[in-house]
Amino acid sequence: MKNFIIRIINVCVIVAALFGYNKVTLAHEQADAEAKAEADRQNAEIAAQSGESGGSYKDGTYQGTATGFGGDITVEVTIADGKITDVEILSAEKEDSAYLTMAKDIIPEILDAQSADVDTISGATFSSTGIKNATAQALEEGGAN
Amino acid sequence: MKQPNKKTMKKIHVLVRAVIQLLYFLFIPSAYTAAFNGVKYIFTKMGTRAHLEVTSFVAALIVLCVYTVVFGRFFCGFACAFGSLGDAVRALYVFICKKMKKKPITMKAAVVKKLQVVKYFVLAIIAVACYTGVYSKAKGFSPWDVFSMLHARNFKLGGYTLGVVLLVLIVVGMCFQERFFCRVLCPMGAVFSILPVLPLSTLRRDRSECIKGCRACTMKCPADIELAPDTAPELSGDCFQCQKCIDTCPKGNIHTGIRSLKGNEIWYTVLRAVILLVLFKIIGL
Repeated sequence: MKNFIIRIINVCVIVAALFGYNKVTLAHEQADAEAKAEADRQNAEIAAQSGESGGSYKDGTYQGTATGFGGDITVEVTIADGKITDVEILSAEKEDSAYLTMAKDIIPEILDAQSADVDTISGATFSSTGIKNATAQALEEGGAN
Repeated sequence: MKQPNKKTMKKIHVLVRAVIQLLYFLFIPSAYTAAFNGVKYIFTKMGTRAHLEVTSFVAALIVLCVYTVVFGRFFCGFACAFGSLGDAVRALYVFICKKMKKKPITMKAAVVKKLQVVKYFVLAIIAVACYTGVYSKAKGFSPWDVFSMLHARNFKLGGYTLGVVLLVLIVVGMCFQERFFCRVLCPMGAVFSILPVLPLSTLRRDRSECIKGCRACTMKCPADIELAPDTAPELSGDCFQCQKCIDTCPKGNIHTGIRSLKGNEIWYTVLRAVILLVLFKIIGL
């Protein structure tokens, strides 16, 4: 029984440490996000003043296919006003669902960067590389510079 | 209806376990790697001081840990693809030896017991590698990636030489010791074996009822565990809940925290397997 109680205390300490860690980092990240939003707003103003008109892609929807983990992943990229507005996974039959869910985290990054040249998701490297390469292929069709 | 005899029941229990293992192996092979990716995710994020989120990997980790606290390492014994692979490899090796009329080689229990600490080092090394960011840069060494790729019938293994070599070595180890990988190398096993298990699910034996000097359960145990007496129940973190000891005991002395529940009743085994399946489906594995 002694062993059991020690183990319970151990687990409680680890869980508490993780929660504490998360609380601290969350506060930091919120501060960072606010700073970033402010910077973005200023950049947008500068861009508006100098009369730039957003992205450099041709409007439309484009498809691309690349190898993921177990097979091909096909995505559809939507370009509106010269910008990437959406990346949708059309088919990824051979991908493991848990990994694909993780790999989808790469999509907001692609939208953020307005490019397929982003870091892959660690732990779901194959599937996210698949999405990335498929997006790159679609963007080539969409006249990426 | 006549109650089937002990030998028949034993065969049925072995069959039930084999069927559950096979189904999990075929349909949910990635639970183990997904949960371990949760561990890696936590350390990787901590390395960059980033906020942790409950991703599908972390969810798999939490679900498996909670499940293990409640039921013991039933996942390891019945649902882990790597564990099942080990059981199959060992069974095949023993079968071949039998056909060739040779005695199968088995590692000495004392040696394996010493080697068991290696898995904690494996866990620590991977954790440090993730924390420092080395892990994501090192490519092609992971035997689990190779295994997952083979399972997904993806045979483009270029650049995975080290991973392939490690996987082959692990399979060789699996031949000579039942549950070699789980006991010696599995970093997820290191996590599980430091978790508490509810007294309800810990196996114990009525020591006073034992035949003097009998070690049948320990001999049968893939982890060479000497079960605790029910006067002081304490379960080794290395028990995979394979349930082999329960049928092996000539006196039927082994049971769970509830005296009337042996722990290998078919309904109870199937119930635990179904609960695990439902949990996996909820988190989308």
